[in-house]
Amino acid sequence: MTGLIAKAGLQLVLVLLVAPLLGGIIKTLKARLQTRRGPNILQSYRDIFKLFRKGMVIPETASWIFSATPYVVFVTAALVGLMIPMTATDAPLSLFGGVLAVVYLLALGRFFLALGGLDAGSSFGGLGSSREMTLSAIAEPAMMLAIFTVALAASSTNLSEMAKVAVSQSWKFLAPSQMLAFAALFIVLIAETGRIPVDNPATHLELTMIHEAMILEYSGPYLALIEYGASIKQLVLMTLVVNTFFPFGLSSDWTVRGLGVGLLFYFTKMLLLACLIVLVETTNAKLRLFRVPELLMVSFIFGALALISTFLF
Amino acid sequence: MSAFFEALEQKFGAQIQAPSAEREDEIYVVVGDPDIRALAEYLRSEFEARLVTVFGEDRRSVERVFFNYYVFERKGDTRYLIVRASVRADHPEFPSLSAELPAVNWQEREIQDWFGLKAVGHPNPRKVALHDNWPDVHPLRKDFLLETVLPPFQGERHIYRPALGEGVFQVPVGPVHAGTIEPGHFNFAVAGEPILYLQLRMFYTHKGTEKLFEKLPIPKAVFLAESISGDSSFSHGTAFCQAIERAVQMEVPLRALIMRTILLELERICNHVADIGAIATDVGFVVANAHASRLKEMLVTLNENLTGNRLLRGMICVGGVRRGWNAVQLGLLRATVDAFAADFQDLVTLIDSSESTRDRLEQTGVLLPEKAKDLGIVGVAGRASGIDLDVRRDHPYAAYGRYSFRIPVYQVGDVNHRMQVRVDEVNESLGILRNAAEDSQHGEFRAQIPPIPPDRCAVSAVEGWRGEIIHWIRTGPNNHLERCKIKDPSLNNWPALVEAVQGNIIADFPVINKSFNLSYSGTDR
Repeated sequence: MTGLIAKAGLQLVLVLLVAPLLGGIIKTLKARLQTRRGPNILQSYRDIFKLFRKGMVIPETASWIFSATPYVVFVTAALVGLMIPMTATDAPLSLFGGVLAVVYLLALGRFFLALGGLDAGSSFGGLGSSREMTLSAIAEPAMMLAIFTVALAASSTNLSEMAKVAVSQSWKFLAPSQMLAFAALFIVLIAETGRIPVDNPATHLELTMIHEAMILEYSGPYLALIEYGASIKQLVLMTLVVNTFFPFGLSSDWTVRGLGVGLLFYFTKMLLLACLIVLVETTNAKLRLFRVPELLMVSFIFGALALISTFLF
Repeated sequence: MSAFFEALEQKFGAQIQAPSAEREDEIYVVVGDPDIRALAEYLRSEFEARLVTVFGEDRRSVERVFFNYYVFERKGDTRYLIVRASVRADHPEFPSLSAELPAVNWQEREIQDWFGLKAVGHPNPRKVALHDNWPDVHPLRKDFLLETVLPPFQGERHIYRPALGEGVFQVPVGPVHAGTIEPGHFNFAVAGEPILYLQLRMFYTHKGTEKLFEKLPIPKAVFLAESISGDSSFSHGTAFCQAIERAVQMEVPLRALIMRTILLELERICNHVADIGAIATDVGFVVANAHASRLKEMLVTLNENLTGNRLLRGMICVGGVRRGWNAVQLGLLRATVDAFAADFQDLVTLIDSSESTRDRLEQTGVLLPEKAKDLGIVGVAGRASGIDLDVRRDHPYAAYGRYSFRIPVYQVGDVNHRMQVRVDEVNESLGILRNAAEDSQHGEFRAQIPPIPPDRCAVSAVEGWRGEIIHWIRTGPNNHLERCKIKDPSLNNWPALVEAVQGNIIADFPVINKSFNLSYSGTDR
């Protein structure tokens, strides 16, 4: 029991500490590719700290949903953070079918975010919520298909089990099913974290926003919770991608040595994935809104093909 | 021209009073209590004349009437025909042309708001330049003192037309926007994402600029002209100074004319390259904007070296320009133009090779040529929609007559072509700059201004980077102005946005708006 609490505590600290840093690294890399210096890499921490100390403006029309949303978003993201293997193969928590719980906890957060956007009563929030729901209706099944592909190979939906199987086997990334699933999950990652070409996290234009439009009415600590939650979600999804498809370096136990090696590999993999995301963001323009579902359909088809090809090859 | 007057006299007889030409290229026709509708229709159908601008003047103290001025121009004719129609003070009404010429919709309503003259037969005679909650005052009348303090506004606010239908929503945006831009209200009626209808509300920054001009001595009024629209300060300043120079019929030294040409073109490419970057930003292709910003910085640094101001302020003056350039500055100009030209080509290639960017720009925000013609669209937006107008060619000023340049005109009218017009114009401007930099840079750059006699009128036009800028002045005693009319191209072009966004999705509005990039301050004055 104490072991479990220690593991959970350790991973929680890791998730909470690394999540804002990851956002900072991506911003800095993007700025460098645009010949800008960009904000300090620690700026995300400062922003969250600043927001926590600020006052809030809550719309008069808002109900309890508006106030509950930031907590739901943050708690679901943090919970998911405990359910995925980061440095060691066995995650501290494994509930309700592992990966299924991960997907649906994230969906719960998104559902409340969309409700919160509608609840505030501004027209931008409604725009954002309807856009988010349209996109997630395709992104979610695409993600499920990709993950099932990997789960099938491991004969388990428990993420720790999946990681153990992946580490023990020789690397099978070049298997068609794995490549297709990776492509599918990468597109989902771009969409779920609100990055170009799906959404533009850096824009000030309300009319083009998706994620930002939903949270436009939030301020102060609520906004801090949502922003923190969003950065944890980004960390979780990126971790899921790197550790599912590139499981090397995951330690099989929670010893200090194992953790050290695990952390080193983990950071390297995450940095490489961040570079890939930044490259995609920098070399592409945002898609026309009604073409985003087409992109997500591509992801869905990749996922479906990946699933089929596990039976063929 | 005499044949033209004969035709007019034959057709309208006694209504036409003696034409007077104060200068060769500016002809005034005075009409009595006329049916201006018939005259405008005749000019339009027989001579294919374009109504450039409409404005009013309060002459009750001298001639006991108001005047309305209708400025016409004709393709291939460098002269302006200005019809002056009197409006009786005891019966302040004039026939509206807006039903046939939607282009003057807002301008006629400005006359209504500012002079209290009623536009009879106007299809939408609601207030435009003064908002609905203004008290019943008409600020451009001479008996309205500039110092007047108005009571707090209590009238009813503007009521937008409701959008009804299942699943139809109204999305209000502004007047306060995110980002450092000026205020304007956009009221979208949307069915899901597609825009059904857009209602615009401008004039939030109405500053009474035209009234202010009547209070300032002319040398100081030049600075006011420079601040009409911040991004066109040199163009507006030049238009104003030209008007004074024409009113007193003075010669401006050739060196000053060449320098003005150079500075006007620098202002043009500076804004064009910034717009190209901004359009790229609005579709999320931020790298292009990073390069465009770098290129713009090259130019504003050059501006500072040439004029002491990054936005070219304080350089223009009546009679020429304030300072000359030495060999070092001219060398810097040539070197910067060459360096800019090479890098600009890279920027264009970068955008051209980004298929995802082109996909966003093509067929977005289409303004059809026939709509553009009806609305009297000018400048960059007009040329992208088949309107072949450019003051630099049609009414040459400064030293433009000395250089040859091509005027890009496209028929497609989408965001992509509004950007393409900018790209082409930058390339043409670079050519003008190269030639002008080699042109004569000797002699005087500022002429002595003779005493300015009262009651001289003059019209002056400049092709600002956005389009046709018109200033019309009447001089007064003591180095002051009786009246100064300013028409910024944005005033013509805002209604085009309403047409261009229809049927597009609301998420594309920002990039469509950016492709017009109209001035709020220049519209509101």
